[in-house]
Amino acid sequence: MQPAASPSADPVIEVRDVHKHYGEVRAVDGVSFEVHAGEVFGLLGPNGAGKTTTVEMLEGLRTPDGGVLSVLGVDVAKHPDRIKPRIGVALQTAALYPKLTVVEILELFGSFYPRSRPADELIVALGLDERRRAQSRELSGGQRQRLAVALALVNDPELVFLDEPTTGLDPAARRALWELIDGLKHEGRTVLLTTHYMEEAEVLCDRIAIMDHGHILELGTVDELVSRRFHDRAVRFDAIDGLDDATLGALPAVNSVRRDDGAVLLHTGDVAATIGGLLSLAEARGVEPQNLAIRRATLEDVFLELTGRTMRD
Amino acid sequence: MRALISLTIANIRSYLRDRAALFWTLAFPLIFIFLFGFIFQSGNFRTQIGWADEDDTAQSQELRAAFAAVPGVELMDGSESEVLDAMRSGTVDAAIVVPAGYGAALETAQAGTGAPATVTLYLDAAQTQSAATITSLVNGVISAVNLGGRPPYVVADTQPIQTQDLNAISYFVPSILGLSIMQVGIFAAIPLVADREKLILKRLAATPLRRSQLVGSNVAMRILIAIFQALVIVGVGTVAFGVQTTGQWVATAFFIVLGSMAFLALGYVIASFAGTEDAANGMTSVVQFPMMFLSGTFFQLDQMPSWLQGVAKLIPLTYLGDALRQTMVGGTPLAPLWVCALVLFGWLLVCFAIAARFFKWQ
Repeated sequence: MQPAASPSADPVIEVRDVHKHYGEVRAVDGVSFEVHAGEVFGLLGPNGAGKTTTVEMLEGLRTPDGGVLSVLGVDVAKHPDRIKPRIGVALQTAALYPKLTVVEILELFGSFYPRSRPADELIVALGLDERRRAQSRELSGGQRQRLAVALALVNDPELVFLDEPTTGLDPAARRALWELIDGLKHEGRTVLLTTHYMEEAEVLCDRIAIMDHGHILELGTVDELVSRRFHDRAVRFDAIDGLDDATLGALPAVNSVRRDDGAVLLHTGDVAATIGGLLSLAEARGVEPQNLAIRRATLEDVFLELTGRTMRD
Repeated sequence: MRALISLTIANIRSYLRDRAALFWTLAFPLIFIFLFGFIFQSGNFRTQIGWADEDDTAQSQELRAAFAAVPGVELMDGSESEVLDAMRSGTVDAAIVVPAGYGAALETAQAGTGAPATVTLYLDAAQTQSAATITSLVNGVISAVNLGGRPPYVVADTQPIQTQDLNAISYFVPSILGLSIMQVGIFAAIPLVADREKLILKRLAATPLRRSQLVGSNVAMRILIAIFQALVIVGVGTVAFGVQTTGQWVATAFFIVLGSMAFLALGYVIASFAGTEDAANGMTSVVQFPMMFLSGTFFQLDQMPSWLQGVAKLIPLTYLGDALRQTMVGGTPLAPLWVCALVLFGWLLVCFAIAARFFKWQ
């Protein structure tokens, strides 16, 4: 991780030991992290991990039960009204007046702020040019999501919150939105993003906090998260009858054995030695390993290691 | 202020693009007015006129015979006070009083030596439709008696009198206006709950917009719609069915605004307890239909059983309808205007307090 390249040493967001309970449920249970100016920070976790609750406390929509929440130097719990003009928000669901057009919605939200960007500028920037006179209920999922992001930018904010911006979108629409979010970073904005897509976090985020059950399990850049857990690479092949974990674990340089969907993953410090051993074992049984592949550990492996479950939607 | 105006415009746009809302708040009351207007206009003309002959001469009996000969006219004889009472209670539509000395006056007039003899015609100006018909009927009969003589031998002196029964369409127009003001108010619950369900209220909470601006724009929009409705309904009533208004516009406007606010507060109460748009739809129906039928909008209260009249006296629409009938067409009061204002204001306060306590923004 780059040690705070920005001139301002103060973090844009500071969260310290924040709690939020709903009855017996500890939605957020002692979360701490910082977000620095100009970075894209990701909260990654399954549904119900506490990501949205954390973000909504930072947006001034929920009050914490305990802890410190500072956004742009303002204590959000005490003065939510002071940060609202300075942040941009896209909720988990694009909340749009169904019977108003794209232009009308942008102009309406612009009127809420002391300073706002012209609707036309945002429409062009977000590629909604052809739908500017369409009512929001007529928009596709990707267009709705883009309009929601446009609304988050209407006040030209320093800090943008995007809660699950690509959930439910097809791959093409998702990639289009990724480009857009990447563009926000190049404009010098700070972005806090929540997602449950590994790939999205890997592509977009400078740093990631992995959340589950209201806790942050691990925090850092993608490289840090992966290398902290896995110094090694993985050899992957379709499971072979009769080769159990103990036998495979005894192969040269193997650190761990994992099974996933009929495949075996051998994490190893020496790929050549492990594959050599595996081939001799297989040959002795008269079989050949199918779909043999070598790969680097990914965020997905880190997540699996941390939570004991995969996260697919 | 800019935010308030923009949000009000946005609300009005959404409303105008919502066919169901437009139907219930605008087309529905107009359909009622046309429907009932045509029902009351159709059919053969029949009228009952009170006849008080204080003169009792050959001349006065001749005049009576002339009126009795008009098809559809039925005369009810009595003393002056009897026929006026009959009119006030709605038994007759008009009353004609032939004063003592009519016969003598007619003779001198026919001899060309005196002023025309006078008969007095009592009419209720609020019963526009029948009043106009009876006036032309009486003038027709009298000009026949005069045989085109110039100067006339007999003239009718028309006296206004307020009766208990407004004619049906005059009773209806302010009643329908009250009904539609109720609908504009309580129907506010539906888009409000929908906006909450679609997380629009939550999204607005993430902007600097204040809740007071949000509620303020909603109130402004609903009052503007109510005023627009009033113009349309009164316009149609006047132009298509000849309803005559008394011109107390300030008092009428006061009750339109007060009524809108009381029912809007009731709409917020519904929105406080309805979790989904469907629930809000159901709850507005549960509130609107009993009010519609028990408030004297369609039937006058004295035609209902007494226990239902008791219920009706608790309903805010009863008082809004009554106040509008009084101020718009000079209807007979069920309660004095200040009582109507007080009851509506009480409903406004109570509903406001309930909504302030239970309304959820998210």
